[in-house]
Amino acid sequence: MKKFLLVISILAVLGIIHASLHKAGAFNTNETGQTTGLNVTDEASGSKSLLDGITKFFYYTGFKNMTTGHLIMLVVGLVFIFLAIKYDYEPLLLIPIGTGIIIGNIPFITQALGTTMGLWQAGDPGLQLGVYEQGSVLYYLYFGVLKGIYPPLIFLGIGAMTDFSALISNPRLMILGAAAQVGIFLTFLGALFLGFDSASAGAIGIIGGADGPTAIFLSSKLANGWFMQNGEMVYEQSRNLIGPIAIAAYSYMALVPLIQPPIMRLLTTRKQRLIKMKPSRAVSRTEKIIFPITGLILTTLVSPSAMPLLGMLFFGNILKESGVTNRLAETARTSFVDIVTILLGLTVGASTQADIFLTSQSLLIFILGAISFMLATAGGLVFAHVMNIFLSKDNKINPLIGAAGVSAVPDSARVVQNMGLREDPTNHLLMHAMAPNVAGVIGSAVAAGLLLSFLM
Amino acid sequence: MIPAFDINPSAIDGNALTISVVGYVIVFLALVLLSTVFYYMPKLMGIRWHPKKKNTGTVKSGEALTGEVSAAISMALYLHFNQYHEEESKHLTIKRESRLYSPWSSKIYQVRNQFNRI
Repeated sequence: MKKFLLVISILAVLGIIHASLHKAGAFNTNETGQTTGLNVTDEASGSKSLLDGITKFFYYTGFKNMTTGHLIMLVVGLVFIFLAIKYDYEPLLLIPIGTGIIIGNIPFITQALGTTMGLWQAGDPGLQLGVYEQGSVLYYLYFGVLKGIYPPLIFLGIGAMTDFSALISNPRLMILGAAAQVGIFLTFLGALFLGFDSASAGAIGIIGGADGPTAIFLSSKLANGWFMQNGEMVYEQSRNLIGPIAIAAYSYMALVPLIQPPIMRLLTTRKQRLIKMKPSRAVSRTEKIIFPITGLILTTLVSPSAMPLLGMLFFGNILKESGVTNRLAETARTSFVDIVTILLGLTVGASTQADIFLTSQSLLIFILGAISFMLATAGGLVFAHVMNIFLSKDNKINPLIGAAGVSAVPDSARVVQNMGLREDPTNHLLMHAMAPNVAGVIGSAVAAGLLLSFLM
Repeated sequence: MIPAFDINPSAIDGNALTISVVGYVIVFLALVLLSTVFYYMPKLMGIRWHPKKKNTGTVKSGEALTGEVSAAISMALYLHFNQYHEEESKHLTIKRESRLYSPWSSKIYQVRNQFNRI
């Protein structure tokens, strides 16, 4: 109660200061009542000087520059942090992103606003605080997102921590990872239908790949705001969709435990959910070493544009499986990937500056992203049923594992495991689901490469 | 905020459909190719996961087995059917912990020494 009263008192004091400053004519206002400037005088005497000082201080505070958009985004950031702590939804991603959203939405006087208000000249760099202001710390950290540097580095870490043995022991499950990519291409068509240009539609479609780094990689290439007009490269802020796409991809990845189960129940019967699969065979070390090398060569030959992602993924896996570079593999899967995750999450979160992020386009992207995720899940499940038609009675697969084909490692595999256990406490599907799950990572990276080569 | 729908059905032209269909088929082909290679990999490598058992001896019918032999066979069968496991590298390493001398960790300055002397 005391804390509540303290907060109310502080807000009241700030309100009184704001009102008194307006009364004293400290701000210039236009006809619409919008503040356009600051009357700061050089008089160094008495109360006028003090008032000027307070006015200037207040003018720079977040309270003065706060808008409804900022408040909405601050609440979104807090919800992200709440979901991560309370429900354990991808905390390694949602905590940095949520904190990034708060950092990115603390209002300040931007370079453009300061110039309008006459605080500095047109060419002045301003305070250099925001992620979109050249020269700021966040700008440099965001560079890794903008140029698609972080995603391949994250893939290196993923490669170094992924065990492909479930995939090697049962290679036919790899096809489920391809089937689930249907969400990408259907959403691409959906985005075109809703009026997005083809490059933006491709970047939005990749949300269905359920792979955050892949989504950022593709959007940094296809929807970074730059486009060709009359033979010249032109930048348009409304075409920069990296922030909304990345936030949508990571949000839905975190919400996999909520999105997938209803679709899984809808598209499977209880009898099908009870199917027990044969245990996987043991995989030799030689096979584990051959897999990343063969995978690298075959997939990048099919889709060379996906080389930065797939190259790093399989490179990380070679480090792990070769058995002679344990130090490098250990670093790649621990400290290295942690550092990149921190930078990526924080800057993606900070890129959601209310004035740039809160647009009707972002809302459309979120809707399309949700549809994309659902279609991908349904695609994997339906294809698992199709596979079962051709498989012998003893080799049937549990169709639930099809849902893990959407990538979102390892959350969707975990959802499959939980769903299987709920039906039959002795039916462990985790290792079987990991096969389409990691195949989904490869599939979505191949799809990203293809979209890049078609639409770039 | 209500999203501004700028519906454009004409955008889904032949080109867009080609990208979608061809893209999906290529993703499929890439993974089918990888899948096929790894389906035949054990055969290519000449690995037999269930090698033929050598005829090392026969047990005459009616010959009683000792309890230990039965237990060993049961254990082997149990491990074979239930405990599938990855092939590990089997390298064991022992990390030596080097403790540098410091008066802070020295035995002779321990508090307990006081009591030992009494």
